[in-house]
Amino acid sequence: MPDSRSLSNSTALRDGSVLRRVQHLGSAHNGLREWRLQRSTALALIPLGLYFAASMLRLATSGRLTAAQWLSSPVSALLVILLVLAGLAHMLAGLRSVFLDYVHTRARLVLANLILRAVTAILAGASVLAVLKLFLGH
Amino acid sequence: MPPQRPLSPFMFPTWYRFQLTSALSILHRLTGIALAAGSILLSGWLVAVAAGGELFEVTHAFIRSPIGMLLLFLWSVAFFYHLCNGIRHLGWDAGYGFDLRSAYRSGYAVIAASLLLTVVTWVYVLLA
Repeated sequence: MPDSRSLSNSTALRDGSVLRRVQHLGSAHNGLREWRLQRSTALALIPLGLYFAASMLRLATSGRLTAAQWLSSPVSALLVILLVLAGLAHMLAGLRSVFLDYVHTRARLVLANLILRAVTAILAGASVLAVLKLFLGH
Repeated sequence: MPPQRPLSPFMFPTWYRFQLTSALSILHRLTGIALAAGSILLSGWLVAVAAGGELFEVTHAFIRSPIGMLLLFLWSVAFFYHLCNGIRHLGWDAGYGFDLRSAYRSGYAVIAASLLLTVVTWVYVLLA
């Protein structure tokens, strides 16, 4: 006897018992937090990414407006910082799942994740400092 | 020593017939990795803008060079594809479009939308 509910109704968004089944005694452990982080940053990156792409177009096509001027305005400085942070968090979750799939040795996996975290932290710190410098310098 | 257990063959391209759905799936991952590499360039660009002076001049000249424009073009293709297919994935996460017909339809829609966005973007950049 097949399940009367269709498969598509058994998602964590629609059915609380799905969540309980994978948490606690389930196999997901911390994976659910990462799953949520990846999805929430994905949602944030839809408007932020489109804003950034449109701004890049404006910079590329405008002879007068420079990148430094653009980043000195509070709205663009805030949105670029949010873009960088959401983007790097999304990247971290995505690359971690790639490593999990293709790095088969425990020690190498730990090392790869450590390097990934270090690179991500440096990129985030450098980007935020750069935007803050331009924003505060005006 | 890796465990000696049976492994399923890698899905592409030698052992399995080409399928749009699996091709789009691996493309999502590949464009994600490409965008991760691009994030290094984005950070570098922000730092160059903040530093100004010679560093910015060199960076700006690189972006305007053929190689820089090619990288930007590839970045835009990867960005628009990952964006469109990411929205498709969010739909699946919410429980929509799991059946085969919908999966193919949304797949073709993703290809069309990302191509359209890329073309519109570059027509705008090159003409404006």
